[in-house]
Amino acid sequence: MQLQLPEITRGVERLRNVIITVMPDCLLYESWSRDGDQTANEEAASYLGDLVRANREALRVMRALSDEMQVTIESGGLLIILREIESSYVVGFVFESDVPLGMVRVQVRTMLARITEALPRFAVSESSRGERVLEFVERYAPDPHTVLLRVAVQARVPLDELRNPANLDGERMQRVERAVCTILGIDSLTL
Amino acid sequence: MATDALRERSWIDGHDLMFVADTQVVYHCHHFNLFFDQTIDDALGVEESSRLKSRAAREASRQLLLGLRKRLDLQTPAEVIRAAESAFAAMGHGRLHINVSAEGGEASGEYLHYGYSWKEKYGAVVRRSHPIDAFATGFIAATTEVAFSLDPGAIEAREIECIVSRAASRCRFLVYRTGERVQPAALTESDCANLLGSSFTGLDEERVSAIASGLKEFTAGVAGDDRGLIQAFGVFVTMHLASYYNRISFDAVHEMGKIDASLAANVEELLRESGRQCGFNTFGGILRSAEWESLVGPPRSDPKEIVTSCLGIARALGFGHWTLHEFEPGERIVVRTPATYETSFYRRTYGASSHPRCYILQGAMVAVAHLAHGVVWEESPSFDEALYQRLLHGTDNAWDWSMPTCHTCGDTFSEIVVTRRRS
Repeated sequence: MQLQLPEITRGVERLRNVIITVMPDCLLYESWSRDGDQTANEEAASYLGDLVRANREALRVMRALSDEMQVTIESGGLLIILREIESSYVVGFVFESDVPLGMVRVQVRTMLARITEALPRFAVSESSRGERVLEFVERYAPDPHTVLLRVAVQARVPLDELRNPANLDGERMQRVERAVCTILGIDSLTL
Repeated sequence: MATDALRERSWIDGHDLMFVADTQVVYHCHHFNLFFDQTIDDALGVEESSRLKSRAAREASRQLLLGLRKRLDLQTPAEVIRAAESAFAAMGHGRLHINVSAEGGEASGEYLHYGYSWKEKYGAVVRRSHPIDAFATGFIAATTEVAFSLDPGAIEAREIECIVSRAASRCRFLVYRTGERVQPAALTESDCANLLGSSFTGLDEERVSAIASGLKEFTAGVAGDDRGLIQAFGVFVTMHLASYYNRISFDAVHEMGKIDASLAANVEELLRESGRQCGFNTFGGILRSAEWESLVGPPRSDPKEIVTSCLGIARALGFGHWTLHEFEPGERIVVRTPATYETSFYRRTYGASSHPRCYILQGAMVAVAHLAHGVVWEESPSFDEALYQRLLHGTDNAWDWSMPTCHTCGDTFSEIVVTRRRS
């Protein structure tokens, strides 16, 4: 069965976007926008993936993690529902905020079932930790165009080696992660 | 009183290098300052970087404060301390309250340039737990040394609370004796002049010179507001000590060079990025300002006009006698200067360099090429992060640079050739 988002979303009023993110790489898999403009979907996909990951970590710490985890965000006239599919995908449903929450839940459940059925169950070829760490810091650090240089200098790892992060050995990878944490002002990376 | 003394700037004739109380100064914005300091942190790590920066600030500030003490005929420690606090605020670095004896003491700061502008620019994006006001730290130590006529290096200070950490409402400093003695490396106006070759003029000299003169007159009247900040042209501006920048950048690059030459080159590239941020934000901000419009008229999308405007701005900021040697619109810009504020310090402190080290010229001139060829000035664009990314890191307007000669290498002038990249 092929994933047909226009078909799945047909008749769902006040639904603006559906964004499907592949995890753990936080890359856009597929998206749909009511107005046809999908320019922001790719960027949003990364952040939505990170958001669910951070949410999962917080729930784990609080011993409240379940398969039914859902993230709900209301902001700027939008209601955003994020759901995971078997930790391989995150699906973001973006509604107008004036839709009753009960209605949204029903519609999300219906669409999610059809999306789950249609999504391929291939083993996602996971990118290396090095690649994910560098993608993460480039996404969140200020002045992202300078990030690779800053990591190279801080971690004392030549730029050429950073350009092939999959090949970094354990000790260099540790230094890179420390540099990334310093740049972002965080204690550890949960990727 | 100290504010008046700061207005008595002197310029080395024909070189556009600026001095106050026999200490070289330049104007720089917070975008440059924050990125520049961050680069030193990246290179050396927070602890070693903080030590280098606060010591460099102490060394440079000591020279300024000794000059001010002499010029203002300050007699007592209290007079020196009050003058130092006033000077610090007048230069746009914020408000300091220094409470010290010859043995040390404490100080506090409000609206300190680095901490305050860091919060404004980055506070919502990243967290920072280590203090940022190394320049204020060294300035406080130097104030204590000069106020009580102590040997250079006798006092150190440490920032123990900083507003960049969300818990602190103001910055606090501890001031203490070290028992150390260091040899200060002051570069006076005559030291600097002795290292300079003869000056020269370039294309459209009359226009560049007139712009520089007008802006110099304007900046002579600029001083910190009630907060001790200079908020102008869409940025926070500081009058800063050239030796501070030079000491920390060159020492950091040399330290990295001991580890790995390619990493030292990476640090140099980050220093050039500071220059690009300066060129974009400060030059661009000035060109878009009401002050510019009344002085020169509204900027137009004429590449040569933008380039010559920027050269005039660079001169007025104390960067050096930047002159236009060749210009081919859309293709090539050649700028020469007998020196920049970086070069004499390098020559005197480290000798002749193996490669060009005019980081400000290298970074800012690439930004100028972008401003001249990528901005539609008549549309009054906002000089924000989005424009910066589109302009300097977009794919359709890339520029490369090379330096056939450089004053730091022992040449009689520095020349930069900026050319459009052809894929």
